[in-house]
Amino acid sequence: MSTPVAMQPVAEPAIGANSPRPARRLTGFMPLIALAALVVALAVADPDFLTLRSLTAVSRTAAPLIVLAAGATLIVLCGGIDLSIAALASLSTVLLALWLPDLGGLATPAVIGVAAAIGAVQGAAHVLLRIPSFIVTLGGMSILSAVALVVSGAGTVRVVDDTPVKWLDLYVAGYVPMSAAMALVVVALIAAILKATPLHSWVSATGYSESAARLAGTPVDLVKIGAFCVSGACAGFAAAMLVSRQYSGGPTMADNLLLPAVAAIVVGGTAITGGHGSLWRSLAGALVVTLLRVGLPIVGVPSAYEQILYGAIIVVAVALTLDWSKVSIIK
Amino acid sequence: MFAALSPQFRSIENVQNIVDAAAVLAVVTCGITFVLMMGSIDLSAAGVMGASALTVSLLVANNRNDNDFGLAGVAVAVLLGCVFGCLSGLALVLLKVPSFMATLGVSAIGLGVATLMFAGVQPNISDAMLKGWAIERLLGLSYLTWIAAACVLAGWLVQRYTRLGRYAFAIGGAEEVLTLSGVRVKPYKVAVFTLAGAFYGLGGVMVTSQLGAGLVQAGNGYDFSAITAAVVGGTLLTGGRGGILHSAVGVVLVMVLTNGLVQVGVSPYWQGGVEGLIVVAAVAVAVIPQRRRNQVVK
Repeated sequence: MSTPVAMQPVAEPAIGANSPRPARRLTGFMPLIALAALVVALAVADPDFLTLRSLTAVSRTAAPLIVLAAGATLIVLCGGIDLSIAALASLSTVLLALWLPDLGGLATPAVIGVAAAIGAVQGAAHVLLRIPSFIVTLGGMSILSAVALVVSGAGTVRVVDDTPVKWLDLYVAGYVPMSAAMALVVVALIAAILKATPLHSWVSATGYSESAARLAGTPVDLVKIGAFCVSGACAGFAAAMLVSRQYSGGPTMADNLLLPAVAAIVVGGTAITGGHGSLWRSLAGALVVTLLRVGLPIVGVPSAYEQILYGAIIVVAVALTLDWSKVSIIK
Repeated sequence: MFAALSPQFRSIENVQNIVDAAAVLAVVTCGITFVLMMGSIDLSAAGVMGASALTVSLLVANNRNDNDFGLAGVAVAVLLGCVFGCLSGLALVLLKVPSFMATLGVSAIGLGVATLMFAGVQPNISDAMLKGWAIERLLGLSYLTWIAAACVLAGWLVQRYTRLGRYAFAIGGAEEVLTLSGVRVKPYKVAVFTLAGAFYGLGGVMVTSQLGAGLVQAGNGYDFSAITAAVVGGTLLTGGRGGILHSAVGVVLVMVLTNGLVQVGVSPYWQGGVEGLIVVAAVAVAVIPQRRRNQVVK
């Protein structure tokens, strides 16, 4: 209900001054344009790129990233940030690898449940103690890494019998990797649930103006905790994908996915200030990031530039998608 | 408490150990304290330290090339830290990117630059002076400890007696008031980040001196430990409170805690977890007085 109220001031000045509108529209399509440009560029640089084999490889690599980014997008839409997703995913790989022998097929849902609970605890800490979300999740990242190290004994946990997670490593209809298909299903499911329920208005109202949303009767606290919970569950699911691919769990296995996931969200055009954006944008963003990662070696750039690129992308994309009208003082 | 639990903890050598181990953390914390005083946050320490560690190890006498610039190499590494800090600051004031995002990005850039310079072969330093910093002792403490003490002193002087330090406090306390009274805060913000970058650069050099080699992971964990130390020392993450001396006390507390936990027999892997708990708890305690007033927390 409160969404149109919150959006009005953004729409009105655009009619008076014509210049920001095309620019806004262009940034809106930016992820898709970037995606198309990358595909074309890669196809030109390497004719083999558009073959079925390399495309399935790309989509398999992208799958965990898509799931992680999708979960964290919800939190960003609420105006927060989750820096703990990668550490949580790492911990989940360890737990999954440890529990697989005992729990078998139940291990995956159990791990997703635990991850969701950890996410919810972080959300509750953020909401109830009124600590900024990035501090909570930064602390959470540190705590979860420590737990993962201790639980695993700082080593890789090998999975001997991987039949319970094997299905994630299969192919649908012979070609489409199951993990990529599941990632799409996760994004579609969350997006559909948002769309079909008042949740979408609640989330974006919380992101656009938290105090207004609160006055309008939105259960802001619950929405935020829910977002953290979903993000945790997504991290757990991404961990299942990683385990099925690598046949092992490691305390730092997913840690290098944090920057790509954050980059995917901001490249997709979801504003870090909250409210503006969607899960589909993050999907496009995740594909862009994966293509960059895969494409750099094809073009002949050493992979050390990858990190530099992520850093630059994050800063530039945040600056472009920022809702400038809303921020007077940046800390 | 730890002294009661472990006889080893009480020994003089262990006190020396704690103080020596605290040196790098103290320097990094000096830098981060200025940023925290402004109410911003800096996650770039790990990346900047990695880049400066590689820079200095390639510029002093080493096994990768024929460079032997000695102190000039150290200066260049510190300067590189300044450049990275300046980048974070510029991204903050010009592009209006929130500081935790900007510094996260800069950290990644720093790590990338470090990886580029690493190029697969670890540069071991053979420079006698730089190696000596970590080994030779003056009055029972290593040179690195004295450098850290000098940094704390310098940081305190800057905070106390220069306009930069005063304004950093004021920006954290009430930026609107400062802007309305005609102070142009943007240059000071960039300057504070640059200063912090210089401290990280020096921190990277010190780690290199300790390890005898330049590593990309030189700054691993220091960023978070430094935030922990500053917060434990009483610097509020909302800004406007605390200071260098508070942070120095915080550094000692954190080092005593980590050292004590190991002596008592707790796995060192828990260190990060303990720090995480401390930060969250300290911040939560600090915001309790404002809970009712402050409804919107991002």
